[in-house]
Amino acid sequence: MGLKENNIPKAEKKIIGFGNIYMSDDGIGLEVIDKLENKIEGIELIDGGTSATDLILHAKSSKKIIIIDAVDAGQKTGEIIKFDARNVSQYFGNIRSFSLHDFNLSQALEMIQNLKINTEIVIIGIKPKNIGFGEKLSPEIEAKIPEIIDMVIREAND
Amino acid sequence: MANTFSIEEENVSRVEGHGDLVLDVKNKKIEKLQFRIPESPRFFEAMLVGRKWDTPSHITSRICGICSVAHTYASIKATEAAMGINNINDQILKLRKLIFHHECVQSNVLHVYFLAAPDFFGVGSAISLVDSHPEVVNIALRVKKMANDMVRIIGGRAVHPIRTVVGGFTKLPTIQEMHQMKEMLQAAYPDLENSLEVLKTLDIPDFERETEYISISDPVDYALYDGNIKSTDGWEIDDQDYLDKINEKVVKHSTGKHSWASRDAYLVGALARFNNNYDQLSDNAKQYAEELGLKPLNYNPFMNNIAQFVEIVHSVDDSIKLIDELLEEGLDEDKAIVDVKPKAGRGVGVVEAPRGLLIHDYTYDDEGKVEKANLIIPTNQNYANIEKDLEEMVPQIIDKSEDEIKLACEMLIRAYDPCISCSTHFLNVKLVNK
Repeated sequence: MGLKENNIPKAEKKIIGFGNIYMSDDGIGLEVIDKLENKIEGIELIDGGTSATDLILHAKSSKKIIIIDAVDAGQKTGEIIKFDARNVSQYFGNIRSFSLHDFNLSQALEMIQNLKINTEIVIIGIKPKNIGFGEKLSPEIEAKIPEIIDMVIREAND
Repeated sequence: MANTFSIEEENVSRVEGHGDLVLDVKNKKIEKLQFRIPESPRFFEAMLVGRKWDTPSHITSRICGICSVAHTYASIKATEAAMGINNINDQILKLRKLIFHHECVQSNVLHVYFLAAPDFFGVGSAISLVDSHPEVVNIALRVKKMANDMVRIIGGRAVHPIRTVVGGFTKLPTIQEMHQMKEMLQAAYPDLENSLEVLKTLDIPDFERETEYISISDPVDYALYDGNIKSTDGWEIDDQDYLDKINEKVVKHSTGKHSWASRDAYLVGALARFNNNYDQLSDNAKQYAEELGLKPLNYNPFMNNIAQFVEIVHSVDDSIKLIDELLEEGLDEDKAIVDVKPKAGRGVGVVEAPRGLLIHDYTYDDEGKVEKANLIIPTNQNYANIEKDLEEMVPQIIDKSEDEIKLACEMLIRAYDPCISCSTHFLNVKLVNK
Protein backbone atom coordinates (compact mmCIF):
# COMPACT_ATOMS: atom_id res chain seq x y z
CA MET A 1 0.00 0.00 0.00
CA GLY A 2 1.82 3.09 -1.19
CA LEU A 3 1.03 6.62 -0.20
CA LYS A 4 0.57 8.99 -3.08
CA GLU A 5 1.08 12.73 -3.06
CA ASN A 6 -2.44 13.45 -1.89
CA ASN A 7 -2.03 10.89 0.88
CA ILE A 8 -4.89 8.67 -0.13
CA PRO A 9 -3.63 5.11 0.19
CA LYS A 10 -4.43 2.89 -2.77
CA ALA A 11 -6.50 0.64 -0.54
CA GLU A 12 -8.88 3.53 0.04
CA LYS A 13 -9.39 4.16 -3.65
CA LYS A 14 -11.82 2.32 -5.87
CA ILE A 15 -12.34 2.24 -9.60
CA ILE A 16 -15.90 1.39 -10.61
CA GLY A 17 -17.24 0.66 -14.04
CA PHE A 18 -20.99 0.94 -14.41
CA GLY A 19 -23.09 -0.48 -17.21
CA ASN A 20 -24.37 -3.53 -18.99
CA ILE A 21 -22.18 -5.43 -21.44
CA TYR A 22 -25.27 -6.54 -23.38
CA MET A 23 -26.42 -3.00 -24.04
CA SER A 24 -23.82 -2.01 -26.62
CA ASP A 25 -21.96 1.19 -25.62
CA ASP A 26 -23.52 1.08 -22.16
CA GLY A 27 -20.89 -1.61 -21.49
CA ILE A 28 -17.97 0.80 -21.84
CA GLY A 29 -17.42 1.08 -18.08
CA LEU A 30 -17.16 -2.69 -17.65
CA GLU A 31 -14.99 -3.07 -20.72
CA VAL A 32 -12.50 -0.56 -19.31
CA ILE A 33 -12.54 -2.28 -15.90
CA ASP A 34 -11.77 -5.57 -17.65
CA LYS A 35 -8.83 -4.05 -19.52
CA LEU A 36 -7.47 -2.39 -16.38
CA GLU A 37 -6.99 -5.77 -14.64
CA ASN A 38 -3.32 -5.99 -15.58
CA LYS A 39 -2.58 -2.30 -15.57
CA ILE A 40 -3.53 -1.27 -12.05
CA GLU A 41 -2.23 -2.76 -8.84
CA GLY A 42 -3.42 -2.29 -5.29
CA ILE A 43 -6.65 -0.51 -6.18
CA GLU A 44 -9.91 -2.40 -6.14
CA LEU A 45 -11.56 -2.65 -9.55
CA ILE A 46 -15.31 -3.05 -9.34
CA ASP A 47 -17.86 -4.25 -11.85
CA GLY A 48 -20.58 -1.99 -10.51
CA GLY A 49 -23.34 -3.33 -12.71
CA THR A 50 -26.20 -0.91 -12.64
CA SER A 51 -26.80 -0.04 -8.99
CA ALA A 52 -26.35 3.58 -7.97
CA THR A 53 -27.26 2.83 -4.36
CA ASP A 54 -24.12 0.77 -4.19
CA LEU A 55 -22.17 3.85 -5.29
CA ILE A 56 -23.32 5.48 -2.05
CA LEU A 57 -22.00 2.48 -0.10
CA HIS A 58 -18.71 2.53 -1.98
CA ALA A 59 -18.41 6.26 -1.30
CA LYS A 60 -18.94 5.65 2.41
CA SER A 61 -16.10 3.13 2.48
CA SER A 62 -13.44 4.91 0.43
CA LYS A 63 -11.59 8.18 0.11
CA LYS A 64 -11.52 8.38 -3.66
CA ILE A 65 -13.65 6.81 -6.36
CA ILE A 66 -13.09 6.88 -10.07
CA ILE A 67 -16.19 6.05 -12.09
CA ILE A 68 -16.19 5.01 -15.70
CA ASP A 69 -19.57 5.19 -17.35
CA ALA A 70 -21.54 6.07 -20.45
CA VAL A 71 -22.53 9.64 -19.68
CA ASP A 72 -24.29 12.36 -21.58
CA ALA A 73 -23.47 15.77 -20.15
CA GLY A 74 -24.21 17.56 -23.37
CA GLN A 75 -20.91 16.71 -25.05
CA LYS A 76 -20.55 15.22 -28.53
CA THR A 77 -20.92 11.49 -29.18
CA GLY A 78 -17.65 9.73 -28.38
CA GLU A 79 -16.32 12.72 -26.46
CA ILE A 80 -14.87 11.94 -23.05
CA ILE A 81 -15.53 14.22 -20.13
CA LYS A 82 -14.00 14.16 -16.67
CA PHE A 83 -15.38 15.94 -13.66
CA ASP A 84 -15.15 15.91 -9.90
CA ALA A 85 -18.60 15.22 -8.49
CA ARG A 86 -17.98 17.35 -5.39
CA ASN A 87 -17.43 20.48 -7.38
CA VAL A 88 -20.01 20.13 -10.05
CA SER A 89 -23.39 20.29 -8.41
CA GLN A 90 -24.43 22.39 -11.39
CA TYR A 91 -24.30 19.15 -13.34
CA PHE A 92 -27.09 17.67 -11.24
CA GLY A 93 -30.04 17.14 -13.49
CA ASN A 94 -27.93 17.69 -16.58
CA ILE A 95 -25.81 14.59 -16.58
CA ARG A 96 -27.39 11.39 -17.70
CA SER A 97 -25.81 8.07 -16.97
CA PHE A 98 -27.18 5.39 -19.22
CA SER A 99 -26.26 2.64 -16.83
CA LEU A 100 -27.73 3.17 -13.42
CA HIS A 101 -31.12 1.72 -12.77
CA ASP A 102 -32.25 2.30 -9.22
CA PHE A 103 -31.33 5.98 -9.10
CA ASN A 104 -29.62 7.86 -11.81
CA LEU A 105 -26.07 9.05 -11.38
CA SER A 106 -27.11 12.64 -10.62
CA GLN A 107 -29.42 11.45 -7.85
CA ALA A 108 -26.76 9.20 -6.36
CA LEU A 109 -24.19 12.01 -6.38
CA GLU A 110 -26.69 14.42 -4.88
CA MET A 111 -27.50 11.92 -2.16
CA ILE A 112 -23.81 11.42 -1.41
CA GLN A 113 -23.44 15.18 -1.11
CA ASN A 114 -26.54 15.48 1.10
CA LEU A 115 -25.25 12.70 3.32
CA LYS A 116 -22.06 14.78 3.70
CA ILE A 117 -19.89 11.92 2.53
CA ASN A 118 -16.69 13.68 1.66
CA THR A 119 -15.25 11.18 -0.76
CA GLU A 120 -13.51 12.47 -3.85
CA ILE A 121 -15.51 11.17 -6.81
CA VAL A 122 -14.13 11.59 -10.28
CA ILE A 123 -16.33 10.63 -13.19
CA ILE A 124 -14.86 9.76 -16.54
CA GLY A 125 -17.71 9.51 -18.98
CA ILE A 126 -18.05 9.02 -22.67
CA LYS A 127 -21.16 9.86 -24.62
CA PRO A 128 -22.36 6.60 -26.22
CA LYS A 129 -23.48 6.21 -29.79
CA ASN A 130 -25.74 3.19 -29.34
CA ILE A 131 -27.28 1.86 -26.14
CA GLY A 132 -29.67 -0.65 -27.69
CA PHE A 133 -29.34 -4.40 -27.20
CA GLY A 134 -26.02 -5.66 -28.48
CA GLU A 135 -22.81 -7.30 -27.34
CA LYS A 136 -20.35 -5.00 -29.07
CA LEU A 137 -19.23 -1.45 -28.55
CA SER A 138 -19.55 0.93 -31.48
CA PRO A 139 -16.15 1.12 -33.23
CA GLU A 140 -15.78 4.85 -32.49
CA ILE A 141 -16.47 4.23 -28.80
CA GLU A 142 -14.15 1.21 -28.63
CA ALA A 143 -11.41 3.31 -30.21
CA LYS A 144 -11.52 5.62 -27.19
CA ILE A 145 -10.70 2.86 -24.67
CA PRO A 146 -6.90 3.54 -24.61
CA GLU A 147 -7.56 7.23 -23.95
CA ILE A 148 -9.99 6.40 -21.14
CA ILE A 149 -7.53 3.94 -19.61
CA ASP A 150 -4.76 6.57 -19.64
CA MET A 151 -7.10 9.03 -17.93
CA VAL A 152 -8.07 6.47 -15.29
CA ILE A 153 -4.47 5.53 -14.56
CA ARG A 154 -3.43 9.19 -14.27
CA GLU A 155 -6.36 9.82 -11.95
CA ALA A 156 -5.65 6.70 -9.89
CA ASN A 157 -2.05 7.82 -9.35
CA ASP A 158 -3.02 11.40 -8.62
CA MET B 1 -62.23 18.36 -8.75
CA ALA B 2 -61.00 16.34 -11.68
CA ASN B 3 -63.95 15.84 -13.99
CA THR B 4 -61.96 15.77 -17.18
CA PHE B 5 -58.26 15.34 -17.46
CA SER B 6 -55.55 13.48 -19.23
CA ILE B 7 -52.39 12.05 -17.74
CA GLU B 8 -49.73 11.13 -20.22
CA GLU B 9 -46.54 9.95 -18.69
CA GLU B 10 -43.90 9.04 -21.18
CA ASN B 11 -40.64 7.74 -19.93
CA VAL B 12 -37.52 8.70 -21.69
CA SER B 13 -36.23 5.52 -23.20
CA ARG B 14 -33.28 4.05 -21.32
CA VAL B 15 -31.34 0.87 -21.62
CA GLU B 16 -34.25 -1.35 -20.74
CA GLY B 17 -36.84 0.51 -22.78
CA HIS B 18 -39.54 2.60 -21.24
CA GLY B 19 -42.94 2.55 -19.55
CA ASP B 20 -45.90 4.84 -20.07
CA LEU B 21 -49.09 5.56 -18.21
CA VAL B 22 -51.93 6.97 -20.27
CA LEU B 23 -55.10 7.97 -18.44
CA ASP B 24 -57.91 9.95 -20.06
CA VAL B 25 -60.92 10.86 -17.97
CA LYS B 26 -63.95 12.69 -19.36
CA ASN B 27 -66.87 13.70 -17.15
CA LYS B 28 -65.58 11.43 -14.39
CA LYS B 29 -65.51 8.38 -16.68
CA ILE B 30 -62.32 6.67 -17.76
CA GLU B 31 -62.11 6.84 -21.53
CA LYS B 32 -58.69 5.32 -21.84
CA LEU B 33 -56.34 3.68 -19.38
CA GLN B 34 -53.18 1.98 -20.48
CA PHE B 35 -50.04 1.10 -18.62
CA ARG B 36 -47.32 0.08 -21.00
CA ILE B 37 -44.02 -1.45 -20.10
CA PRO B 38 -41.32 -2.95 -22.25
CA GLU B 39 -40.63 -6.62 -22.69
CA SER B 40 -36.91 -6.70 -22.29
CA PRO B 41 -36.15 -10.46 -22.30
CA ARG B 42 -36.86 -10.86 -26.00
CA PHE B 43 -33.37 -9.87 -26.97
CA PHE B 44 -31.90 -12.18 -24.35
CA GLU B 45 -34.03 -15.11 -25.52
CA ALA B 46 -32.57 -14.68 -28.99
CA MET B 47 -29.09 -14.18 -27.61
CA LEU B 48 -29.18 -17.49 -25.71
CA VAL B 49 -29.80 -19.59 -28.80
CA GLY B 50 -26.65 -21.49 -29.78
CA ARG B 51 -24.92 -20.88 -26.43
CA LYS B 52 -23.24 -23.70 -24.51
CA TRP B 53 -25.01 -24.87 -21.33
CA ASP B 54 -22.62 -23.14 -18.93
CA THR B 55 -23.13 -19.62 -20.29
CA PRO B 56 -26.87 -18.72 -20.07
CA SER B 57 -26.76 -18.03 -16.33
CA HIS B 58 -23.98 -15.49 -16.77
CA ILE B 59 -25.70 -13.82 -19.71
CA THR B 60 -29.16 -13.66 -18.13
CA SER B 61 -27.75 -12.34 -14.84
CA ARG B 62 -27.21 -9.12 -16.81
CA ILE B 63 -30.87 -8.73 -17.75
CA CYS B 64 -31.39 -6.77 -14.58
CA GLY B 65 -28.89 -5.34 -12.13
CA ILE B 66 -31.39 -5.59 -9.30
CA CYS B 67 -32.35 -9.24 -9.75
CA SER B 68 -29.24 -10.81 -11.17
CA VAL B 69 -29.23 -13.67 -8.63
CA ALA B 70 -32.84 -14.54 -9.52
CA HIS B 71 -32.06 -14.69 -13.23
CA THR B 72 -28.89 -16.64 -12.49
CA TYR B 73 -30.84 -19.30 -10.60
CA ALA B 74 -33.87 -19.44 -12.88
CA SER B 75 -31.30 -20.10 -15.60
CA ILE B 76 -29.24 -22.62 -13.61
CA LYS B 77 -32.36 -24.53 -12.55
CA ALA B 78 -33.66 -24.64 -16.13
CA THR B 79 -30.32 -26.02 -17.32
CA GLU B 80 -30.07 -28.55 -14.49
CA ALA B 81 -33.64 -29.73 -15.21
CA ALA B 82 -32.83 -30.08 -18.90
CA MET B 83 -29.61 -32.01 -18.18
CA GLY B 84 -31.40 -34.29 -15.74
CA ILE B 85 -29.26 -33.19 -12.79
CA ASN B 86 -31.13 -34.34 -9.71
CA ASN B 87 -28.30 -34.80 -7.22
CA ILE B 88 -27.86 -31.21 -6.02
CA ASN B 89 -26.85 -31.80 -2.41
CA ASP B 90 -28.15 -30.21 0.74
CA GLN B 91 -25.07 -28.01 1.17
CA ILE B 92 -25.47 -26.48 -2.29
CA LEU B 93 -29.21 -26.01 -1.75
CA LYS B 94 -28.71 -24.23 1.55
CA LEU B 95 -26.07 -21.89 0.14
CA ARG B 96 -28.32 -21.16 -2.84
CA LYS B 97 -31.20 -20.32 -0.51
CA LEU B 98 -28.87 -18.14 1.53
CA ILE B 99 -27.66 -16.02 -1.38
CA PHE B 100 -31.21 -15.89 -2.73
CA HIS B 101 -32.50 -14.37 0.50
CA HIS B 102 -30.09 -11.49 0.22
CA GLU B 103 -30.84 -10.45 -3.30
CA CYS B 104 -34.42 -10.26 -2.09
CA VAL B 105 -33.27 -8.14 0.86
CA GLN B 106 -31.17 -5.90 -1.44
CA SER B 107 -34.12 -5.25 -3.68
CA ASN B 108 -36.80 -4.97 -0.99
CA VAL B 109 -34.70 -2.50 1.00
CA LEU B 110 -34.26 -0.31 -2.02
CA HIS B 111 -37.94 -0.34 -2.81
CA VAL B 112 -39.40 0.02 0.67
CA TYR B 113 -37.05 2.74 1.89
CA PHE B 114 -35.93 4.63 -1.20
CA LEU B 115 -38.65 4.28 -3.82
CA ALA B 116 -41.90 3.83 -1.92
CA ALA B 117 -41.20 5.58 1.41
CA PRO B 118 -40.80 9.07 -0.10
CA ASP B 119 -44.44 8.85 -1.24
CA PHE B 120 -45.68 7.97 2.21
CA PHE B 121 -43.57 10.64 3.88
CA GLY B 122 -44.76 13.21 1.38
CA VAL B 123 -41.29 14.06 0.08
CA GLY B 124 -40.37 14.09 -3.57
CA SER B 125 -37.59 11.54 -3.64
CA ALA B 126 -35.11 9.54 -1.64
CA ILE B 127 -32.74 12.51 -1.80
CA SER B 128 -35.21 14.58 0.21
CA LEU B 129 -35.33 11.79 2.80
CA VAL B 130 -31.76 12.65 3.78
CA ASP B 131 -33.05 15.85 5.34
CA SER B 132 -36.56 14.78 6.36
CA HIS B 133 -35.88 11.26 7.63
CA PRO B 134 -32.11 10.75 7.94
CA GLU B 135 -32.62 7.72 10.21
CA VAL B 136 -34.54 5.96 7.43
CA VAL B 137 -31.75 6.58 4.94
CA ASN B 138 -29.11 5.32 7.34
CA ILE B 139 -31.10 2.18 8.16
CA ALA B 140 -31.62 1.53 4.45
CA LEU B 141 -27.93 1.91 3.68
CA ARG B 142 -26.89 -0.36 6.56
CA VAL B 143 -29.33 -3.13 5.64
CA LYS B 144 -28.43 -2.81 1.96
CA LYS B 145 -24.75 -3.10 2.82
CA MET B 146 -25.43 -6.19 4.93
CA ALA B 147 -27.28 -7.84 2.03
CA ASN B 148 -24.57 -6.79 -0.46
CA ASP B 149 -21.91 -8.29 1.78
CA MET B 150 -23.88 -11.53 2.07
CA VAL B 151 -24.19 -11.84 -1.72
CA ARG B 152 -20.53 -10.91 -2.16
CA ILE B 153 -19.27 -13.46 0.36
CA ILE B 154 -21.31 -16.33 -1.10
CA GLY B 155 -21.33 -15.32 -4.76
CA GLY B 156 -17.94 -13.65 -5.07
CA ARG B 157 -19.44 -10.28 -6.03
CA ALA B 158 -22.19 -8.02 -4.66
CA VAL B 159 -23.87 -7.93 -8.07
CA HIS B 160 -23.70 -10.48 -10.86
CA PRO B 161 -22.19 -13.25 -8.70
CA ILE B 162 -19.58 -15.44 -10.36
CA ARG B 163 -19.29 -18.47 -8.08
CA THR B 164 -22.87 -19.57 -8.70
CA VAL B 165 -22.80 -22.04 -11.58
CA VAL B 166 -24.68 -24.99 -13.02
CA GLY B 167 -24.05 -27.90 -10.62
CA GLY B 168 -23.14 -25.83 -7.55
CA PHE B 169 -20.45 -23.38 -6.47
CA THR B 170 -16.94 -22.84 -7.81
CA LYS B 171 -15.84 -21.82 -4.31
CA LEU B 172 -17.41 -22.02 -0.88
CA PRO B 173 -17.33 -19.38 1.84
CA THR B 174 -14.91 -20.11 4.66
CA ILE B 175 -16.03 -21.04 8.18
CA GLN B 176 -14.77 -17.64 9.29
CA GLU B 177 -16.93 -15.96 6.65
CA MET B 178 -19.94 -17.99 7.77
CA HIS B 179 -19.48 -16.66 11.32
CA GLN B 180 -18.96 -13.16 9.94
CA MET B 181 -22.24 -13.41 8.02
CA LYS B 182 -24.09 -14.56 11.11
CA GLU B 183 -22.78 -11.58 13.07
CA MET B 184 -23.81 -9.21 10.27
CA LEU B 185 -27.31 -10.67 10.27
CA GLN B 186 -27.69 -10.44 14.03
CA ALA B 187 -26.54 -6.83 13.90
CA ALA B 188 -29.44 -6.01 11.55
CA TYR B 189 -32.17 -6.58 14.15
CA PRO B 190 -32.07 -3.13 15.78
CA ASP B 191 -32.53 -1.58 12.33
CA LEU B 192 -35.46 -3.86 11.64
CA GLU B 193 -37.05 -2.98 14.96
CA ASN B 194 -36.60 0.73 14.28
CA SER B 195 -38.00 0.28 10.78
CA LEU B 196 -41.07 -1.35 12.26
CA GLU B 197 -41.79 1.75 14.33
CA VAL B 198 -41.35 3.99 11.28
CA LEU B 199 -43.51 1.80 9.04
CA LYS B 200 -46.28 1.73 11.63
CA THR B 201 -46.69 5.47 11.09
CA LEU B 202 -47.27 5.18 7.34
CA ASP B 203 -50.70 6.03 6.04
CA ILE B 204 -51.25 3.18 3.57
CA PRO B 205 -54.02 3.96 1.05
CA ASP B 206 -57.18 2.06 1.80
CA PHE B 207 -57.78 0.36 -1.52
CA GLU B 208 -58.62 -3.26 -2.12
CA ARG B 209 -59.27 -5.32 -5.21
CA GLU B 210 -59.31 -9.04 -4.98
CA THR B 211 -57.33 -10.75 -7.70
CA GLU B 212 -55.44 -13.99 -8.24
CA TYR B 213 -52.10 -14.20 -6.41
CA ILE B 214 -49.48 -16.52 -7.88
CA SER B 215 -46.10 -17.51 -6.46
CA ILE B 216 -44.01 -20.57 -5.87
CA SER B 217 -44.73 -22.48 -2.69
CA ASP B 218 -43.11 -25.14 -0.55
CA PRO B 219 -44.47 -27.05 2.45
CA VAL B 220 -41.46 -26.12 4.63
CA ASP B 221 -39.72 -23.03 3.21
CA TYR B 222 -41.12 -19.59 2.55
CA ALA B 223 -40.36 -20.33 -1.08
CA LEU B 224 -38.00 -18.04 -2.95
CA TYR B 225 -35.56 -20.46 -4.57
CA ASP B 226 -37.74 -23.48 -5.27
CA GLY B 227 -41.27 -24.83 -5.11
CA ASN B 228 -44.45 -25.65 -6.98
CA ILE B 229 -46.38 -22.85 -8.63
CA LYS B 230 -49.38 -22.04 -6.46
CA SER B 231 -52.42 -19.78 -6.81
CA THR B 232 -54.82 -18.34 -4.27
CA ASP B 233 -57.51 -19.51 -6.70
CA GLY B 234 -56.91 -23.01 -5.43
CA TRP B 235 -54.54 -24.70 -7.84
CA GLU B 236 -50.93 -25.86 -7.46
CA ILE B 237 -48.76 -27.32 -10.23
CA ASP B 238 -45.24 -28.61 -10.71
CA ASP B 239 -43.01 -25.79 -11.94
CA GLN B 240 -42.11 -27.77 -15.07
CA ASP B 241 -45.78 -27.55 -16.10
CA TYR B 242 -46.11 -23.76 -15.94
CA LEU B 243 -47.61 -23.63 -19.42
CA ASP B 244 -50.67 -25.51 -18.11
CA LYS B 245 -51.73 -22.40 -16.22
CA ILE B 246 -49.67 -19.36 -17.18
CA ASN B 247 -50.89 -17.76 -20.38
CA GLU B 248 -49.60 -14.77 -22.27
CA LYS B 249 -51.21 -12.71 -24.97
CA VAL B 250 -50.05 -9.83 -27.09
CA VAL B 251 -51.97 -6.61 -26.55
CA LYS B 252 -52.31 -3.89 -29.14
CA HIS B 253 -51.14 -0.96 -27.06
CA SER B 254 -47.80 -2.37 -26.01
CA THR B 255 -44.90 -4.55 -26.99
CA GLY B 256 -45.23 -6.23 -23.59
CA LYS B 257 -47.60 -9.18 -23.25
CA HIS B 258 -50.49 -9.54 -20.82
CA SER B 259 -50.49 -12.61 -18.58
CA TRP B 260 -53.44 -14.46 -17.14
CA ALA B 261 -54.18 -17.76 -15.40
CA SER B 262 -57.56 -18.45 -13.76
CA ARG B 263 -58.96 -14.97 -14.42
CA ASP B 264 -58.16 -11.99 -16.61
CA ALA B 265 -55.14 -10.89 -14.56
CA TYR B 266 -52.99 -11.95 -11.61
CA LEU B 267 -50.51 -10.47 -9.19
CA VAL B 268 -46.96 -11.68 -8.52
CA GLY B 269 -44.43 -10.40 -5.99
CA ALA B 270 -44.13 -10.06 -2.23
CA LEU B 271 -47.87 -9.80 -1.58
CA ALA B 272 -48.55 -12.94 -3.64
CA ARG B 273 -45.81 -14.80 -1.77
CA PHE B 274 -47.19 -13.57 1.54
CA ASN B 275 -50.74 -14.59 0.64
CA ASN B 276 -49.68 -18.07 -0.49
CA ASN B 277 -46.95 -18.81 2.02
CA TYR B 278 -47.78 -17.01 5.24
CA ASP B 279 -47.56 -20.24 7.27
CA GLN B 280 -43.91 -20.73 6.31
CA LEU B 281 -42.78 -17.28 7.53
CA SER B 282 -40.62 -17.20 10.66
CA ASP B 283 -42.50 -16.50 13.88
CA ASN B 284 -40.68 -13.20 14.12
CA ALA B 285 -41.73 -12.16 10.61
CA LYS B 286 -45.34 -13.13 11.42
CA GLN B 287 -45.17 -10.91 14.50
CA TYR B 288 -43.90 -7.99 12.40
CA ALA B 289 -46.69 -8.59 9.88
CA GLU B 290 -49.29 -8.55 12.62
CA GLU B 291 -47.97 -5.32 14.08
CA LEU B 292 -48.17 -3.75 10.62
CA GLY B 293 -51.72 -4.94 10.03
CA LEU B 294 -50.81 -7.43 7.30
CA LYS B 295 -52.73 -10.70 7.34
CA PRO B 296 -53.43 -13.23 4.61
CA LEU B 297 -55.31 -12.94 2.36
CA ASN B 298 -54.62 -9.27 1.80
CA TYR B 299 -56.10 -7.62 -1.28
CA ASN B 300 -54.51 -4.16 -0.97
CA PRO B 301 -51.70 -3.80 -3.56
CA PHE B 302 -50.21 -0.92 -1.53
CA MET B 303 -49.50 -3.49 1.21
CA ASN B 304 -46.97 -5.06 -1.15
CA ASN B 305 -44.50 -2.61 0.40
CA ILE B 306 -45.25 -3.96 3.87
CA ALA B 307 -45.00 -7.55 2.62
CA GLN B 308 -41.56 -6.69 1.23
CA PHE B 309 -40.45 -5.48 4.65
CA VAL B 310 -41.85 -8.58 6.37
CA GLU B 311 -39.84 -10.64 3.90
CA ILE B 312 -36.65 -8.83 4.92
CA VAL B 313 -37.31 -9.90 8.52
CA HIS B 314 -37.94 -13.48 7.44
CA SER B 315 -34.81 -13.54 5.29
CA VAL B 316 -32.65 -12.42 8.21
CA ASP B 317 -34.22 -15.03 10.51
CA ASP B 318 -34.01 -17.85 8.00
CA SER B 319 -30.44 -16.98 6.99
CA ILE B 320 -29.26 -17.33 10.58
CA LYS B 321 -30.99 -20.72 10.72
CA LEU B 322 -29.36 -21.82 7.45
CA ILE B 323 -25.91 -20.68 8.60
CA ASP B 324 -26.30 -22.52 11.91
CA GLU B 325 -27.23 -25.70 10.05
CA LEU B 326 -24.35 -25.37 7.60
CA LEU B 327 -21.89 -24.73 10.42
CA GLU B 328 -23.16 -27.73 12.34
CA GLU B 329 -22.94 -29.98 9.29
CA GLY B 330 -19.55 -28.53 8.28
CA LEU B 331 -18.67 -27.16 4.84
CA ASP B 332 -17.22 -29.68 2.41
CA GLU B 333 -15.39 -28.36 -0.68
CA ASP B 334 -15.69 -31.83 -2.25
CA LYS B 335 -19.43 -31.35 -2.30
CA ALA B 336 -19.32 -27.80 -3.68
CA ILE B 337 -20.29 -28.85 -7.17
CA VAL B 338 -21.74 -31.92 -8.88
CA ASP B 339 -20.81 -33.28 -12.32
CA VAL B 340 -22.71 -32.04 -15.33
CA LYS B 341 -23.00 -34.16 -18.45
CA PRO B 342 -24.57 -32.13 -21.24
CA LYS B 343 -27.42 -33.76 -23.07
CA ALA B 344 -30.44 -32.82 -25.14
CA GLY B 345 -33.60 -31.93 -23.30
CA ARG B 346 -35.97 -29.26 -22.09
CA GLY B 347 -35.96 -27.80 -18.60
CA VAL B 348 -37.82 -25.11 -16.73
CA GLY B 349 -36.39 -23.00 -13.91
CA VAL B 350 -38.89 -21.14 -11.76
CA VAL B 351 -37.85 -18.90 -8.87
CA GLU B 352 -39.18 -15.87 -7.05
CA ALA B 353 -37.34 -12.76 -8.18
CA PRO B 354 -37.86 -9.92 -5.71
CA ARG B 355 -40.70 -8.66 -7.92
CA GLY B 356 -42.29 -12.07 -8.38
CA LEU B 357 -42.45 -15.25 -10.39
CA LEU B 358 -39.58 -15.60 -12.85
CA ILE B 359 -39.54 -18.40 -15.41
CA HIS B 360 -36.72 -19.58 -17.68
CA ASP B 361 -37.54 -22.37 -20.11
CA TYR B 362 -34.68 -23.79 -22.20
CA THR B 363 -34.42 -26.52 -24.79
CA TYR B 364 -30.91 -27.93 -25.39
CA ASP B 365 -29.56 -29.95 -28.30
CA ASP B 366 -27.24 -33.01 -28.12
CA GLU B 367 -24.16 -30.84 -27.76
CA GLY B 368 -25.64 -28.96 -24.82
CA LYS B 369 -26.34 -25.82 -26.82
CA VAL B 370 -29.53 -23.80 -26.40
CA GLU B 371 -32.03 -24.43 -29.19
CA LYS B 372 -34.89 -22.39 -27.74
CA ALA B 373 -35.41 -20.11 -24.76
CA ASN B 374 -38.50 -18.58 -23.23
CA LEU B 375 -38.27 -16.11 -20.35
CA ILE B 376 -41.24 -14.76 -18.42
CA ILE B 377 -40.43 -11.86 -16.11
CA PRO B 378 -42.46 -10.67 -13.12
CA THR B 379 -43.07 -7.09 -14.18
CA ASN B 380 -44.76 -8.25 -17.35
CA GLN B 381 -47.02 -10.60 -15.40
CA ASN B 382 -48.21 -7.73 -13.20
CA TYR B 383 -48.89 -5.47 -16.12
CA ALA B 384 -52.55 -6.47 -16.69
CA ASN B 385 -53.25 -6.48 -12.95
CA ILE B 386 -51.90 -2.94 -12.57
CA GLU B 387 -54.30 -1.77 -15.27
CA LYS B 388 -57.21 -3.51 -13.52
CA ASP B 389 -56.27 -1.89 -10.21
CA LEU B 390 -56.08 1.55 -11.80
CA GLU B 391 -59.43 1.03 -13.50
CA GLU B 392 -61.01 0.29 -10.14
CA MET B 393 -59.12 2.85 -8.06
CA VAL B 394 -59.45 5.96 -10.24
CA PRO B 395 -63.30 6.14 -10.06
CA GLN B 396 -63.02 5.80 -6.25
CA ILE B 397 -60.81 8.90 -6.01
CA ILE B 398 -62.24 10.84 -8.93
CA ASP B 399 -63.37 13.72 -6.69
CA LYS B 400 -59.83 14.39 -5.53
CA SER B 401 -57.60 16.94 -7.22
CA GLU B 402 -55.74 16.03 -10.38
CA ASP B 403 -52.47 16.14 -8.50
CA GLU B 404 -53.78 13.75 -5.89
CA ILE B 405 -55.09 11.38 -8.55
CA LYS B 406 -51.79 11.54 -10.37
CA LEU B 407 -49.87 10.79 -7.19
CA ALA B 408 -52.21 7.93 -6.26
CA CYS B 409 -51.71 6.34 -9.69
CA GLU B 410 -47.96 6.69 -9.40
CA MET B 411 -47.97 5.23 -5.92
CA LEU B 412 -50.06 2.29 -7.01
CA ILE B 413 -47.73 1.51 -9.89
CA ARG B 414 -44.71 1.96 -7.63
CA ALA B 415 -46.25 -0.35 -5.02
CA TYR B 416 -45.79 -3.17 -7.51
CA ASP B 417 -42.08 -2.39 -7.58
CA PRO B 418 -41.97 -2.55 -11.37
CA CYS B 419 -38.66 -2.59 -13.15
CA ILE B 420 -36.81 0.04 -11.20
CA SER B 421 -35.52 1.99 -14.14
CA CYS B 422 -39.14 2.51 -15.09
CA SER B 423 -40.45 3.37 -11.65
CA THR B 424 -37.96 6.16 -11.03
CA HIS B 425 -39.26 7.88 -14.14
CA PHE B 426 -42.66 8.19 -12.55
CA LEU B 427 -41.33 11.24 -10.81
CA ASN B 428 -41.86 13.07 -14.07
CA VAL B 429 -45.50 12.80 -14.92
CA LYS B 430 -47.02 15.21 -17.38
CA LEU B 431 -50.58 16.20 -16.71
CA VAL B 432 -52.45 17.88 -19.52
CA ASN B 433 -55.92 19.30 -18.97
CA LYS B 434 -58.37 18.85 -21.76
